[in-house]
Amino acid sequence: MKLTRREFLRRWGAFAGAWVGLSHLGEPVLAFLRSRSIRWPWYRSEEVRVTYNYCDMCMWRCGMRVYTVNGRVVKVEGNPKDPKSRGRLCGRGQAAVAHLYDPDRLRKPLIRTGERGTWSFREASWEEALDWAAEALARLRDQYGPESVAWFAHTTGDFWFGDYLPLAFGSPNVGKPATGLCLTPREIAAQLTFGRGLGGHEPVDWENTRYIVLIGNHIGENAHNTVMQDFVRALASGAKLVVVDPRYSTAAMKAHRWLPIKPGTDTALLLAWMHVLITEGLYDREYIEKYTVGFERLVEHIQPFTPEWAASITEIPAEVIREVAREMAAHRPRAVVPPGRHVVWYGNDTQRMRALFILNVLLGNVGRPGGFYIPRAPALDPYPHPPFPVEVAAGGCGAATAGIRIPDTPGHPPRADGVGTKFATGPVVIQELIEPMITGQPYPIRGLVVYGVNLFHSIPNVPRTIEALKRLEFALAIDVLPQEHLAWADIILPEATFLERYDELWVASHRTPYIALREPAVEPMPDTRPGWWIARELGMRLGLADYFAWSDIEEYLNTRLMSVGLSLDRLREEGGIFTWSGKPYLEDYGEGEAPFPTPSGKIEIYSEALARAGFDPLPTYEPVEDPPPGYFRLLYGRHPLHTFGKTQNNPWLAEVYPENEVWINEEAAAALGLKTGDRVLLENQDGVRSGPVRVRATPRIRKDAVYLVHGFGHRGSRLSRAEGRGASDNMLITRYRLDPISGGAGMRVNFVRVIREV
Amino acid sequence: MAQLAMLIDLSRCLGCQACVIACKAGRELLPGERWIEIREVVVGRFPDLRGAFVPHRCFHCAEAACVQVCPTGALYKRDGFTMVDFGRCSGCGYCAEVCPFHVPRIVDGRVSKCATCLDLIQAGQEPWCVQTCPAGALQCGPREEILAEAQARAVALRERYPNAQVYGETQMGGLGVILVLTEPPEVLGLPPRPQPLPITVWKGGIQPLSLGAIFLSALTSGIAFFIARRRHLEEKNGAFARSGKAQASHHPNRKE
Repeated sequence: MKLTRREFLRRWGAFAGAWVGLSHLGEPVLAFLRSRSIRWPWYRSEEVRVTYNYCDMCMWRCGMRVYTVNGRVVKVEGNPKDPKSRGRLCGRGQAAVAHLYDPDRLRKPLIRTGERGTWSFREASWEEALDWAAEALARLRDQYGPESVAWFAHTTGDFWFGDYLPLAFGSPNVGKPATGLCLTPREIAAQLTFGRGLGGHEPVDWENTRYIVLIGNHIGENAHNTVMQDFVRALASGAKLVVVDPRYSTAAMKAHRWLPIKPGTDTALLLAWMHVLITEGLYDREYIEKYTVGFERLVEHIQPFTPEWAASITEIPAEVIREVAREMAAHRPRAVVPPGRHVVWYGNDTQRMRALFILNVLLGNVGRPGGFYIPRAPALDPYPHPPFPVEVAAGGCGAATAGIRIPDTPGHPPRADGVGTKFATGPVVIQELIEPMITGQPYPIRGLVVYGVNLFHSIPNVPRTIEALKRLEFALAIDVLPQEHLAWADIILPEATFLERYDELWVASHRTPYIALREPAVEPMPDTRPGWWIARELGMRLGLADYFAWSDIEEYLNTRLMSVGLSLDRLREEGGIFTWSGKPYLEDYGEGEAPFPTPSGKIEIYSEALARAGFDPLPTYEPVEDPPPGYFRLLYGRHPLHTFGKTQNNPWLAEVYPENEVWINEEAAAALGLKTGDRVLLENQDGVRSGPVRVRATPRIRKDAVYLVHGFGHRGSRLSRAEGRGASDNMLITRYRLDPISGGAGMRVNFVRVIREV
Repeated sequence: MAQLAMLIDLSRCLGCQACVIACKAGRELLPGERWIEIREVVVGRFPDLRGAFVPHRCFHCAEAACVQVCPTGALYKRDGFTMVDFGRCSGCGYCAEVCPFHVPRIVDGRVSKCATCLDLIQAGQEPWCVQTCPAGALQCGPREEILAEAQARAVALRERYPNAQVYGETQMGGLGVILVLTEPPEVLGLPPRPQPLPITVWKGGIQPLSLGAIFLSALTSGIAFFIARRRHLEEKNGAFARSGKAQASHHPNRKE
């Protein structure tokens, strides 16, 4: 091949151009090509549609604005009008979009074809699944009575399956995990002491407080939006913080003092603090005289509980106990000891919560700025319906405001959870409904409807739950995700997520009473249906049409809103939230207007009701069992990006925190030859194992306890991201101590040993 | 617009990571892609511990090494922030190599780092991370005001955190993310005096050198050609002398 000079120059030019281009200038050229495919950010679109909702990623129910573009939800934001979110959301709320578009979602009604527990299902039409489910429920009702069907419900959509359909059906056995597995002891203690529960949102007057004592209260890991906002603001404006916790928690990182208490001894500390306040005359005399009864009995009662006594129990030096008590007193009434939420620890929990409340009362802070405000709820009428055959007994986060039925109403089927025998009072405790499924005592429960409750990650003693599920005649599950317990259902109905449906209004008990709207941002995924629709269709098939007199949900909501002069359109115009003014402080109440509706009309430091029922009328400390040699106490808690056992599969949240670790004190770990990252199994005192899970050797926990973030270790689910990740704390909680007053299941009584995985 | 900056107050951050997810959502990041990471730092021995949550994200250096090495102009400065024009990014990864904080990543063939929600700011809103932070630990505003606020906060925090200090006033010519630290930077895993790779060497040395090498190779190729051409002609002339017709038949229109 011959070249001319010109030809050579032309080829060389092209070659050199390409070379220079590729080596140096090629990047802009390639970039130019790429830029042809770039798209505008979603929020510059003309098509952004805003709808209103309250968040279902945890139970806090933050108001949100949902942004939809071209039929796709792209972003959620806090609703600035909402008193809880105030325009902000936590990470879980922000990940609501990923929940909606989780590819693992249930997409068809399913009917079981094989053995329970084996995930043997066939797809079915809604018509067939609903007919079948209603027929099974009707058969149980007609053969054994409506009380033979238990209803378990949770999430922020639990109204239809926790507070409505079961009551129309006539079953008193409606359980929510928020009761015996969470805050019942606190609510009962508040009822006994103040004549009113606290409700779902702890009414702590953060913005005015100057001194905060957290005891087993994990703000920041419990990512309750409003609490995080208020807590940080209080600290930023100079409030002092003491954190009592066996673990150096997120809150402890912010604390002026961290008191690494020996687990199980909290009541001793609370009593010793009361002792100092009383013996040193530091309590609020005026307040005690004006608002309380029974103080003189407390003075007598408290004498033996010296800081020295408590120091030997709690492993907190007596001098530190004294100093903290004095500091609390110096800041009163703007000093507060906020109650936690998950208070079911050791089975004496109502008494511990009573101790905590009485300590606050000594500081004179209840109904005062810087202590506790008094919440109120808006008064909306229900949609007119015939009276229910049974009364509301499910409780829930807002148990106190919903009213707690104590004891059983004559003429109605009694509850099966053992109220009045196993424990004294309170809403239905969900974990005590399992046993009647096995033993038939006090009467058999033969059917179960479970809505949004993960049976294996919320109710302790999983082997017992499985035994119960095997014996049921019929189990219906309604859920969004294929959680492991669904394998045990006969029929599975796939629900639309909260972003795809209307729901009951959120009627909030708050400093400023308010209501919030939940409306669909997009159509439900094909073949998923809103909870209200499922409840109504079941109700119609069960012959309960009178309870579903409304033609559609909008009419239902409009009718309820009309009772306070509102409508759906008006609520939308208002930005999805409507707020009334409240009466947060004692000074807002006139003479004779008692904010403490106890029998005495005052705060009951000494509880006649407890005395009459044969319990200690003043709180006492009960020692708890120590871990046997070689075992650690199992503690569990939260990660800010996860809620219960329901978010571990969320594509965004699983990406950031895909699995839990077992926290072991670094010295204790070293003694076992373990280091961070090692994979271990955990085995409890009953030989039940969970894991494998990675070790996190850390100075952040005492040597006598290990810690797991709750909700991990899904085994046997159809959750592609969560399955097999980490260890389940609940699997290891085969024992619990029942609180004899409230029926709360004290779950911090399990011990585990650490086994290196081979 | 004046120079802007963000404030992150570590005394307020609770490590909830709402910012991480809000950013991921608002910017529609790819699976596996995150522009903010929160690192948990705890030091000391039980029970004398200190801890904080430290953001790991683009700090928007004034003298941004990434901008200086970016060959396509995909990274550039505007209003104090280090912006990204993703359309121009070639995914070469130089930015990831020179960043003193090791922030940029290459995800799906292009740079992945905070690209700044400047359009939100211009529309009177705040970046997604700032908007959502439940702890109110984040702010965004004119850099001078942010810096003054940070300094005031650091002073106010000294009682609780004796080592409270501002980070980012001078580092890398001044950061666009000013941190209020509760501990010295080295305790929190932040470089007290971050150093980029010697950019002058890169910009002033390697790039001109490579360009020079291109011209040098062109030059030598050219010279080689002329030499080869001459030899070729000489050979051909010699050959033509032996059989002239063949050449003409191959190139009938050829002009010399």
